[in-house]
Amino acid sequence: MSLRRVAVLALLGLLGCSARQAAPPAASAPHSAAAHPDFSGFWNLDMKVPRDPALMALVPPNTAFMDDTGPVEFPAGNYGGLILTPAAQAAAKKWNPRDQLTPQNACRPPTIVYALQGPFPIEIFQSDKFIVMKLEYYDLVRIIFLDGRRPEADYPHSPTGFSSGHWEGATLVVNTDHLEPATITNNGLDHTENMKVTERFRLSPDGKVLMATQEYEDPAVIQNRGVRFIAWSRQPGQHVYPYECDPGFAGNYKDVK
Amino acid sequence: MSAAALLALTLAGSALAHHSFAVFFDTDAQLVKVTGVVRDFQFRNPHGVITIEVPQGQAHITWRAETNSPSILHRRGWSVDSLHVGDTVTLEGWRARDGSRYIRLKSARLADGRMIGQPPPS
Repeated sequence: MSLRRVAVLALLGLLGCSARQAAPPAASAPHSAAAHPDFSGFWNLDMKVPRDPALMALVPPNTAFMDDTGPVEFPAGNYGGLILTPAAQAAAKKWNPRDQLTPQNACRPPTIVYALQGPFPIEIFQSDKFIVMKLEYYDLVRIIFLDGRRPEADYPHSPTGFSSGHWEGATLVVNTDHLEPATITNNGLDHTENMKVTERFRLSPDGKVLMATQEYEDPAVIQNRGVRFIAWSRQPGQHVYPYECDPGFAGNYKDVK
Repeated sequence: MSAAALLALTLAGSALAHHSFAVFFDTDAQLVKVTGVVRDFQFRNPHGVITIEVPQGQAHITWRAETNSPSILHRRGWSVDSLHVGDTVTLEGWRARDGSRYIRLKSARLADGRMIGQPPPS
């Protein structure tokens, strides 16, 4: 057993016995892991997977489809179909991309709003009470609680926020808040700490593809809602690599002419 | 203070991620190709960086190329030993929109024509 696997199992063990959050409501009695699809494993982004009609049918009206999953990025001034509030438009106009290339900012991670759709793999460890999702991008680690707990009053905002999940049949529905302000499109449109994210994950019938929609809403900056469709292919026997961002990268751009 | 002003303060200087490819590099222009001698090769996230010296008359000029994330390149056959100081290499990529001698690497070939690593899956 690898050290990485030992460490993650230890984390799962700690999580299972250290919950100082509110006790789970009686109505959300944990199901057996075998009763639900098993998302465990290494998943690499797969841009060839078409949008899943069943997942897309659950997207509410007034939601813009954001076609920038993977390495695709919108150029300056283009925010897909999102309708920016005047305040967000004003902030986006002031945005200077060079500010990203400073030692202070080069390694500042985005939140899951931008990170999950990136061209990096994820690795999932699943139990019946919580799911650990490790993103290679910026070494982000998400914990999705399945026991109905909510965060304590002073729970901090962070790139991964606080995620609660539940099963609707074979679909895992995840609601996330407590996200710190960060980019939505990596070109000047940023969300606030009040961003709410709803994700739905499900497997393809053969179990080889994990598909998700990620919806987000933040009325302070976008007047409608946004959704991305993301899919990953299962690649057995692999693990995500350490990211270990080096802020010294920022210096490389400064002295070119 | 109005709600809009308050929000503007909340947003100011807050949200940053690693720099945007689409904003920084001109993907509509022709690809740039430069050949030179490696002066430095960094293979660390968020991007690797290759610095080369390109002869120009009696002098030389410096070009830099930033690579995709080394995590991704590792799976395509790159490593920290893919390039060494003194190697001759030809770099092809998209130039920075500000016209500086800084490109986003599309491909790199050694002096014998071999491509470093494998191209991304199509």
